[in-house]
Amino acid sequence: MIDVRHLSHSFGPHPALQDCSFHLSRGEVLFLTGPSGAGKSTLLRLLFADLPLQRGEAVVAGFPLSKIRAAQVPLLRRQVSMVFQDFKILPLRTVYDNIVLPLQVRGMDKTHADRRVLAAARAVELENKLESSCVDISGGEQQRVAVARALVVNPRILLADEPTGNMDPELALQIMDIFKKFQNYGTTLIIATHSPELILRNPRARILRLDQGMITQANWPGAILNKFSSAVPLAAYGGGARHDSTEERDG
Amino acid sequence: MRVFFRLCKQALQDVTLNPWAQLLTLAAVTLMAFLVGIFLMAIITLDHQLGVIKGETIFQVYWRPGVEQNLIAGQWRQLRLLPGFAHIQTYTPLEALQELEGRIGRNSSSRNFPFLNENNPLPATALITFTPEAEDYERWLTETTSYLARLEGVERVSSTPLRDELGQAWRTVNSYVLRPIILFLTLILGLVVGNTVRLAMLSKSQEVEILQLVGAFDWYIRIPMLVIGGLQGLVGSALALFLLRFIHLQIEQILNFPPILMEIQFLNLQTIVLMLALPTLLGIVGGWVGIKR
Ligand SMILES: Nc1ncnc2c1ncn2[C@@H]1O[C@H](COP(=O)(O)OP(=O)(O)OP(=O)(O)O)[C@@H](O)[C@H]1O
Ligand SMILES: [Mg+2]
Repeated sequence: MIDVRHLSHSFGPHPALQDCSFHLSRGEVLFLTGPSGAGKSTLLRLLFADLPLQRGEAVVAGFPLSKIRAAQVPLLRRQVSMVFQDFKILPLRTVYDNIVLPLQVRGMDKTHADRRVLAAARAVELENKLESSCVDISGGEQQRVAVARALVVNPRILLADEPTGNMDPELALQIMDIFKKFQNYGTTLIIATHSPELILRNPRARILRLDQGMITQANWPGAILNKFSSAVPLAAYGGGARHDSTEERDG
Repeated sequence: MRVFFRLCKQALQDVTLNPWAQLLTLAAVTLMAFLVGIFLMAIITLDHQLGVIKGETIFQVYWRPGVEQNLIAGQWRQLRLLPGFAHIQTYTPLEALQELEGRIGRNSSSRNFPFLNENNPLPATALITFTPEAEDYERWLTETTSYLARLEGVERVSSTPLRDELGQAWRTVNSYVLRPIILFLTLILGLVVGNTVRLAMLSKSQEVEILQLVGAFDWYIRIPMLVIGGLQGLVGSALALFLLRFIHLQIEQILNFPPILMEIQFLNLQTIVLMLALPTLLGIVGGWVGIKR
């Protein structure tokens, strides 16, 4: 599903990501942690083809991103959904308009799309706000709009950048449970977060810790540690390494 | 095709999301088209005015005094058949005399020169105006002059090709200048419209970005932009043309008095088509380049 090899990225002279390698199979969930500025968003945006690849290779949903053409990017994004740290929703439109957007883009008819939007809105507890304009709802609600928009298409891969950052802990855990359901149906997830509670909620999860753009800790052997990495396993987060067997399923 | 119409409908509905920005763009397009239209109207009126006198050559023909008036009247009818004939103004000796008397004393009549009625010294004259074809003008001039001079009883022929020189000059310049000016101005109009639309599209850049993020294909994003851009160009210049026509109806005759005698002309069909087509086309182009990948 996701195969990252020696991926590096820099903004001007400033390196944001250095020599990252890891592999994720279908239905696996990866938590990306690390301090602010560690490169989490950069890594996710690279995998979403929102930034051009500079060095290394990443294969996402079968698309080798170093060779992807502009015309293929929409095809990639029909398999991969992303929740952005800054939401990227249309402020002047209603909650409904925002959530239905990816379905409209795919040409889905209205009745079918409406049902899906309602289901996604229920999952994030926004079913009563569907007609509200997005400028009139709170930050946490806007974030839920972004999550619902990402989920409404049943993506094969979900990249979520701090998807619960503006929510209270209870709602955040609820969103995590929704993600877990998608995982059970085979969606591959990468979730960037600062919150250990969310990670602990999912003991089977893989965990990567980034520091200054480098993978410094990982809890499973599928992540290739490099010279920057610490040998210390992520024992504190629980033993994700028990579940290596899932890797063989990948094609 | 269904998606296409849905996108167009969507695009039109989106106009209501941001009506002021759209209205301002439209107003800019309309005003620009209006200005260009006024300028073109002035040029076309000027061209028409020069066209009215262009090619006019006037001959003054004097007959010998005492030539039989019946003969002359027959010749006057014949003259109307000459190539390029426009109109003729004739004076019999008597009419010439009365004209002369009229100039000397307003309320006088032939009583001033009663002795001349019997023995009128004035010749019959005719003022003939021609609008000859442009080609072979020189040959036409010599042929017509000699024809008139050889008429029975004609004493003298003088012509005033002078007025034609301006017309001739304009005719040579016209084809080099007028069309390029019209083309140039409508092109400027189109470019300004295109750029205005392009800038207006920048206000949609957030929407474009988000559509790209949720997996929209390029054409899906572009079609509404092209439709809106083209419509703004078309509606804006059409509004300007209606406004121009309305104003034209008010001022058409205001200069039409002697000695100016100038009828203000409306734009010709070709220019109208250009003024509609180029802004529409470049509005579409503006909608296209307004989206960067
Ligand atoms: N567009 C950009 N231009 C220049 N530098 C950038 C850009 N985006 C990110 N950076 C830099 O790259 C580094 C990694 O940024 P990134 O956004 O990936 O961090 P992050 O781990 O997501 O942080 P946070 O937890 O605060 O979201 C930072 O030093 C940041 O300043
Ligand atoms: Mg970030």
